[in-house]
Formats: sequence, C-alpha cells, structure tokens
Amino acid sequence: MNASAGMLLEVHDLVKDFGRVRAVDGISFAIPRGKIVGLLGPNGAGKTTTIHMLLGITGLTSGRITYFGMEFARHRQECLQRINYASSFNTLQGRISVWENLLVFSNLYAIRNAGARIRKLAEYFEIGALLQRRYWDLSAGQKTRVNLIKALLNDPELILMDEPTASLDPDIADKTLLLIEEARRTSAVSILYTSHDMEEVNRICDEVIFLDRGRIVAQDTPLGLTKRIRDAHLKLTFDGDLQTVEAFLVERRQAHTFPHPYAVSIDTTEKMIPELIFGISERGIWITDIEVKKPTLEDVFLRIARGKDHVN
Amino acid sequence: MSTKRIGAILIQEFYITKRSLEVIMDLFFTSLMTVIVFGFVSRFLVGVLNAHTGSYLILGMLLWEVIRINQYSLSVGSLWNIWSRNLSNLFIAPLTMTEYIAAHMLSGLLKTLIIFSMISAIAAAGFQFDILRLGALNLALFFTNLTLFSWSLGLVLLGVIFLVGTRIQALAWGLVFLFQPLTAAFYPVGVLPPAVQQIAYALPPTYVFEAARQALATGEVNWTYAAIAFGENLVYFGLALQAFTLMFARARNTGQFARNEG
Repeated sequence: MNASAGMLLEVHDLVKDFGRVRAVDGISFAIPRGKIVGLLGPNGAGKTTTIHMLLGITGLTSGRITYFGMEFARHRQECLQRINYASSFNTLQGRISVWENLLVFSNLYAIRNAGARIRKLAEYFEIGALLQRRYWDLSAGQKTRVNLIKALLNDPELILMDEPTASLDPDIADKTLLLIEEARRTSAVSILYTSHDMEEVNRICDEVIFLDRGRIVAQDTPLGLTKRIRDAHLKLTFDGDLQTVEAFLVERRQAHTFPHPYAVSIDTTEKMIPELIFGISERGIWITDIEVKKPTLEDVFLRIARGKDHVN
Repeated sequence: MSTKRIGAILIQEFYITKRSLEVIMDLFFTSLMTVIVFGFVSRFLVGVLNAHTGSYLILGMLLWEVIRINQYSLSVGSLWNIWSRNLSNLFIAPLTMTEYIAAHMLSGLLKTLIIFSMISAIAAAGFQFDILRLGALNLALFFTNLTLFSWSLGLVLLGVIFLVGTRIQALAWGLVFLFQPLTAAFYPVGVLPPAVQQIAYALPPTYVFEAARQALATGEVNWTYAAIAFGENLVYFGLALQAFTLMFARARNTGQFARNEG
C-alpha cells in the first residue's frame, strides 16, 4: 500500500519495547480516506501506546509511520498540522476559559479567523453559551464536546480518538457518537478510534483491528469479524417431555441448561442449529419459540481477551 | 521556529497567570512581601552598621528575584499543563519543543522584568534604595547573567520533571534556594568557608552578586567578573540544553512523557 492508493496513515512493522516488555509487536495497518477504523483490544493490548507513537509523544523502538505519504519522523510539523486527537484521558487547561483554550490551539495550528471558526464549531456542538466558562467548571459531557471542537479546529483529515466516550453516561455518549457521525458526514474526516464499548464500535467503525499482547490478531469489518465465530446460542421453548430433549442433546454432545422445565438454552454452532431443531421436533416435542443469538463483536473481543484468539 | 506558535504559548501563559492565585502569590505577592521585609531590615542595618552593609541585603534580594522568577516560570509553567492533563495536547499540535522552551523563557523574562521593575520601584520609593545606582550597563550585565543561569537551572529541572514525572515537582520551586547561600547573594563570598568558596566561584551568580556589591560602592563595571560569569553561563547553558535534550528523548522512549498527565 502507498499514499497514492489514498491512504492517510500507513504503519509498517511498528515495535515498542518498554525495557524487556514488548508493548507493540510489529504491527502494520493503513487508514484510507473517509473511513473510521476501530483499534480494539483488552487492557494492555498496546492500543494507547500505538496512538501515542502515532502522535509522536512516545518514541518508536522500530518501524515506520507515514501520514499523507510523508515520513512522520522527518515531517512532524506538516503531519501534525493535518491531523488531530481527542481523548477522554486528556483534558484542556482547566484554569482558563473554553474560549481561551481554543484560542491557544487556534494559534498553535495557525488558523485564520480563529474567532469565527471557534464560534461556528461551538454553535455546531451546542456549547456557544459555555465559551466564557472555565474549562474545569464544565460537566464531563461538555468537556467532551470542547475536546471534540479542539480536535476539529484545524479541519483535520484524520483524527485519532482514544476512548472519547469513556466515563460518559449513555445519553451523553450517544450524543457524542452522533456528533462524530455528523462530523464524518460533513467533513469526510477519517478516524482511528479506540474503545471498549463494542456497541459503539459496531455502530461507527467501517473496519476493526483487534490487538492482543501488542499484535494484530484480527482485522476485518465488524460483520466480517463476528462471522468468523461459528458458535451460536440457541434457546428453545417447548411443550413436551424434558427428559426426551435432554437425552437428545446429551446424545449430540451439546452443552445445555434448562432455565425452566419448558425451555432449553444450548451452546452450539451455527451449522448445528437446523439439525437440533428438526431432531427435537422429530421426537414429538412441539417447539413453541426459537431464539438464536448470533455472536457479537463483544464475543470476538471476549474470545481475544480470554486468550481464545482463534476467531477464524 | 514559528512566532505564531511561540505566541500561542505566551498567550496561554498570560491566561494562566491572570487566572491562578498560586502564580500571583508565588511571584507577585512573594516578591512584594520580600522587598518590604528586606527593605525594613536594610533600613535597620543602615542605622546600626553602615549604609553599604544594609544595602547589600536589599540589593541581593532584588537580584535574587531575577533568578527565582525566571527559573520558576520555566519549570513550573509546564506543571500547569501537566496538572491539567493538557501537556501532550500541546505537542500533538505542530509545536516543537524548541518553540515551547523559547516561549517559556520569554514568558519568564517578561514576568521578571515586570516584577523586578515593580519591586525596584518600591525599594526606591519606600526604602531609599535606587537600583539604578549600579548603572544601566551593570544592570544589563547582571540581568543577562542571572537570567542565563536561571534558564540553565530551569531547563534541567524541566527535563527531570519530564523524565520522572510530577513526584519530584517540589524541586521546581524549591531547588533554586540551594543556590542562595552558595552564590553569596546577601554577603561577601569571603564569609563562606574556603571549601564552599570553591563551589561558589563555580556558579555564575556569585560573580554577579560580588560585582553588584562593588558597583554599589564604585559604580564601576567589573568586566572580569562579567566575563567569567558569562563564560560559565555559556558552559552551563550548553550542558543544560544537552541534558534536557537527553532527558526529553529518554522520557519519550520510556513513555513517561505521554504518562505525565496528572
């Protein structure tokens, strides 16, 4: 892959060692224009270290990062001018007002008509009335909005977002996601997005990269990843003899439980579902309800987090 | 180097200074109280000893503030951003470390000039001590040498903060006082034990304070002392820059710089 293929960010064999601990172990990936790519993994997988290296605040042990076809190490200023960052872990200067904070960053990015730009974004994110308030005095949700304004000030082509909705209540998190989706629609910005919330990743990401112990263990669309898990959970409600159902499932070596005498929960595979339904019906059991739970992105995450990293 | 980005950090420094009672107390209020106390002590000593001995105290105090304010501004200025978890935000923007340091040096210099002028005016009006008696050239030489020394010290402390984090933050405003007795700010260097005098003469401010006391009596410029102090300052500043560069690089490699967020 190269810049001419429309990649905004390319990462090649990125390695980071902290002493004898290898935090990031030779990862490579690319982010195309206009896409939201999720970077997921359990705690300690190397997500934040990767983001910090991509931003230049942590040095690389080896590897190469290029933005817009430019070597990041040699063109730091040009690259940083065209990207930005938002995280719930970083805040702005607490003692000064929102307006003052944004004015400082506008100057750092050499933005023309900074005042108009700040006012326009503040209106868009519905915090116009808070511009003169001290940053410390804002609620978590308001701070997140201000952080997003900061991240959009320079009209970036790529934003790195490290758990931007962490510690927000569901309502504010949802509003934040709507704002991100809206920003993406209006400015075609690309985003590298880390989160522990699989639902939001599923909602906004076009592609997902799973990291575990510093390595990429899976990379696909959210749907593609869930399809790799062949397991499924089947719940049947029935009218008939419980022993007959149990005997059939034991014969087929299917793990199961009976939540009550007329229902059975079966951990199985997608392939087995028709066989199980027909098999039970053929034994004179009337199935009154069928519920199939397909694997979610969370199941993929849990498999990786628990060391069952064979999602293929 | 971008003057716009240096200006951005200066604007931030202005806003923080304006909004922080701590900065106002640490810099403006402390300087104000110190000049008043030293003014009265000087007035008392002038009465019981001689005019020069009494003046040494207030002279040493005024010049010492040049070191303290410059160094405080350079080292503590970054702590405000670390405490607010905003430091890495600044470096995620296209700001270079050189621009950042230059802005903090400039900010320190501006604060020093303002506070020095303020306390000098109080010393002149309230305690009949006119710092201009040293002569403009002497004053410029003293100011330059003391500022250079405080920048070296501030740079090293900033590097240590980046390297090991905020657990040593008290050094940012406290370590400078180690140099107050060593550089003979308020008394002739001759009163120090001989072994300590060796250390004192390895420190540029010692020459400044000695030369300032001479100038108070004669009004002459001690070019030898000015040159030695400047030479030592160049060496220290070079070493401090190198030490800072190494510590910053190490902080980036260990991940401490990114973790320096509260």
